[in-house]
Amino acid sequence: MFKKLIEESTAKSPWLFHINAGSCNGCDIELVSVLTPRYDAERLGFKLTGTPRHADIVVVTGPVTKQSLPRVLRAISQVPEPRCIVTMGSCPQSGNVFRGSYSVAGPLSKYVPVDVDVAGCAPKPEAVIDGLVLATQILKEKRAKK
Amino acid sequence: MMTIVLTALQYLGYILIFPGFLFCFVIGMLLCGIDRKIVARMQKRVGPPVLQPFYDFFKLCGKETIIPAAASKTTFLAAPLVGLAALVVLQLFIPIHGFSAFSGMADIIVILYLLLIPAMAAMLGGAASGSPYAGIGLSREMVTIIACELPLVMVLLAVGKVVGGDAVTFSFSKIANYQLANGSLITHASLIPAAIAMLLIIPGETGNHPFDTAEAETEICEGLLAEYSGAPLAVYKLTHCVKVLTLTSFFAALFLGGIGTGIVVVDALILVAICIVLTIVSISFVHAITARLKIEQVFKFYWTTVTGLALISLVLAWYGL
Ligand code: SF4
Repeated sequence: MFKKLIEESTAKSPWLFHINAGSCNGCDIELVSVLTPRYDAERLGFKLTGTPRHADIVVVTGPVTKQSLPRVLRAISQVPEPRCIVTMGSCPQSGNVFRGSYSVAGPLSKYVPVDVDVAGCAPKPEAVIDGLVLATQILKEKRAKK
Repeated sequence: MMTIVLTALQYLGYILIFPGFLFCFVIGMLLCGIDRKIVARMQKRVGPPVLQPFYDFFKLCGKETIIPAAASKTTFLAAPLVGLAALVVLQLFIPIHGFSAFSGMADIIVILYLLLIPAMAAMLGGAASGSPYAGIGLSREMVTIIACELPLVMVLLAVGKVVGGDAVTFSFSKIANYQLANGSLITHASLIPAAIAMLLIIPGETGNHPFDTAEAETEICEGLLAEYSGAPLAVYKLTHCVKVLTLTSFFAALFLGGIGTGIVVVDALILVAICIVLTIVSISFVHAITARLKIEQVFKFYWTTVTGLALISLVLAWYGL
């Protein structure tokens, strides 16, 4: 029973940690807009935390520049299990408009297993919420497998 | 022999179920859930479900606990438990109408000390985690405690003076009996400023918005809690919720005593209702209409405005008004 309770709670209380890996700031603003009164992701339990130690879902924006890569990997490894990695925007998936630049080390999936990709430049808040809800389901499965 | 066992069982029931751990757990979480919902509604949002703090708690219980390499392990893990235990003990001493689990064993001075322990434990735990963010959080938490303590003591002195007459009293049972005989203390004109001051102290003591400088998540990465994860973090979140319950019921015992029927269950329900109203007034409303203060502003606010209110009460009470 206790196990079931924890599984259910895991899906209902996902805390986000946001990493900017060289994003143009478009995605960052869209992520914050998800928490505003209009879209209010907090009704699903989402909350932005200030430290990776408290997080369940890591949201990465930006094309993962050479400068930011070691920091991104270090921040992700500080997130306690079970965790989910969500890329937001086209940048961390393909490099988008920054593709081919000498300073870009992405895509992110070369370095860590990515669970959900939310495409778009920048993705609509509805799409972001959809992706995050998908991530909570993956979190629940990961918790159940443990 | 039989009576000893029965008494032991009774006290165990007090400690574990009512008004001890289980009561604190459920009602504290509920208060925090209502607080989050009200804040969301005031910002025109739907808001999380009222049971959200329960979900958060159980989720954190199921997460991995990471102990940083730089941390001192025992202190790091023991600190949250010490803080929670102190608060549950505190709740046992607070009278509910006429009922008090351990009456006559502690007075308000003990309550003051017990109220300090969770903050101290959080500071110790933060210091043991070895994170620089926790270091900043630690110094801010310390300043917040010092800022709150002065007006709190003055409020208690004013209440003690009104109840005790010539000799200031710090006895909880005397305060409760006085209110049973003469009606709530909040109807006493000289104590109204003190009651307002106490309402303003509640968010400071619990570390709620706008006085949450010690845990400013956007600024210093949750401060004292920066390195905590998993079950110890869950205990910290629980401690925060219990603290809301403790402080609001402390307010109820000081100023709103004498409301009740004498049946313990009904009185407990009345207390819960009072706590909900107090949480909404003193925590949710203040949260929704303010932005986070800087630490020096917190200090200045408490040592001028709030202390001033408490001082007015103290002077009025001293002249017997
Ligand atoms: S996907 Fe578009 S909006 Fe988002 S960071 Fe990349 S360029 Fe900016």
